[in-house]
Amino acid sequence: MSTILSELAAGIPQTIGITLASFVVAAVLGLPLAVLRRSEVWLVRLPAVVVVEVLRAVPPIVWLFLIYYSLGSTDQVRLTTFQAAVIGLGLIYAAHLSEAYRAGLNAVPVGQWEATRALALPRRQMYARVILPQALVVVVPPMATFAIALLKDSAIASVIGATDITFQAVQLTQQDLNGLGNFTVAGLLYIALGVPFALVARGADRVLSRRLVGS
Amino acid sequence: MNPESRPLLALDGVCVAYRHHEVVHDVSLDVASGEVVALIGPSGAGKSSLLRAINFLEPPSKGRVVLEGAEVGGSRRSLDALRRDVGMVFQSFNLFPHLTALQNVMLAPVHTLGVSKEQARERAMRQLTHVGLAEHAHVKPGKCSGGQQQRIAIARALAMEPKVMLFDEPTSALDPELGAEVLATMRSLAAEGMTMVVVTHEMHFAEDVADRVVFMADGRIVEQNAAGKLMRDPQHPRTQRFLNAVRNR
Ligand SMILES: Nc1ncnc2c1ncn2[C@@H]1O[C@H](COP(=O)(O)OP(=O)(O)OP(=O)(O)O)[C@@H](O)[C@H]1O
Ligand SMILES: [Mg+2]
Repeated sequence: MSTILSELAAGIPQTIGITLASFVVAAVLGLPLAVLRRSEVWLVRLPAVVVVEVLRAVPPIVWLFLIYYSLGSTDQVRLTTFQAAVIGLGLIYAAHLSEAYRAGLNAVPVGQWEATRALALPRRQMYARVILPQALVVVVPPMATFAIALLKDSAIASVIGATDITFQAVQLTQQDLNGLGNFTVAGLLYIALGVPFALVARGADRVLSRRLVGS
Repeated sequence: MNPESRPLLALDGVCVAYRHHEVVHDVSLDVASGEVVALIGPSGAGKSSLLRAINFLEPPSKGRVVLEGAEVGGSRRSLDALRRDVGMVFQSFNLFPHLTALQNVMLAPVHTLGVSKEQARERAMRQLTHVGLAEHAHVKPGKCSGGQQQRIAIARALAMEPKVMLFDEPTSALDPELGAEVLATMRSLAAEGMTMVVVTHEMHFAEDVADRVVFMADGRIVEQNAAGKLMRDPQHPRTQRFLNAVRNR
């Protein structure tokens, strides 16, 4: 058990790296997608809708193959497995997160938007100072859920050769044929890595809702 | 026209429509500097729609809004210029719940007007003092009474140093007692010479504080007159019916 653990531990940095980097990409790109999707102008809304729906409709593993073996292996561009995984998962989760953001933005009462308009607040300040702090309270719980889902989906990166936990478990099993032991430990590792996300999410949720009501 | 007689704010043939359904029809109204105009009328008359057309929260489907002789255009820049000069107070306050009273009041001076933080803080404290809430500066709206919240909202609008203040039923969400403190604040604003357009169901306020009362029904101005005159001696049957109904309630 402890030898398995020490073998698989070699994959932890990749798993965490892919998860965190993809999450940052998703969290940043999801916001413009959400804002565009709420536009009153359909010509602005439509491209955002198409992008979000296409990203979510194609299986993640297909995206990773597509990015790594075609777009990422031309003469001009050569992506590492890590980069390909982060781009693919980052984009897919940007689509998921944009929907969570959209729900958060929709949860901010109309009167708040109107007040910022009546005060002629510039768009950036409107979002940064008024809208997002209130939307965040609604967005944090689903964000945490997506972070944990992303952690699990990061295992897909092993099929294009990213040396993560799952990759290590596959390698090890090819040598010792102890699939049960190796993948059980891999599973436990994923559970353990997910715990901090859940705790952080919970803490953030509590702090945010307190900030919103209390003084 | 010489500047003395030029109205501060002029609505000229303003219509408001929601999805091609017109609810305000061809309203023209001049507001002089320092004048307090009360807009009264039955529910659904289009009072809020008209008021919101003034600062383009509901862009007029037809007609012109003219502030200090300059017509408001549809561009973002023109709208921002208008909104800097026109303060708005909502029925439901619409304070920012995650910010303290002081932060609520400082926000737009800093980010819309570009006033320095220190100056904005001073300005905000002056306005909070003005509405009698200096000691609530560091409290969030959630901890304040409805009346206090509405006075913070008034301070927030005043901190922009607007030329006109719009009020949409500012006391309708409040108990009479809390409404009274808001009305007192508005009364003193009027006494200081602030130009105000006030949609209200408070007939006493309209009669005592307003210079002019405008009665609207079915999306049109039915009758307008000096406040005392319209309230005591309405000419139009529709106005008489409305005032009787309100008084007998
Ligand atoms: N956002 C909207 N979308 C569609 N119709 C609307 C909207 N807002 C108002 N209306 C309609 O426009 C008409 C005028 O409404 P408005 O709110 O301006 O009247 P009001 O005089 O302010 O009434 P109240 O005294 O009830 O506030 C009503 O028939 C109302 O149903
Ligand atoms: Mg109304």
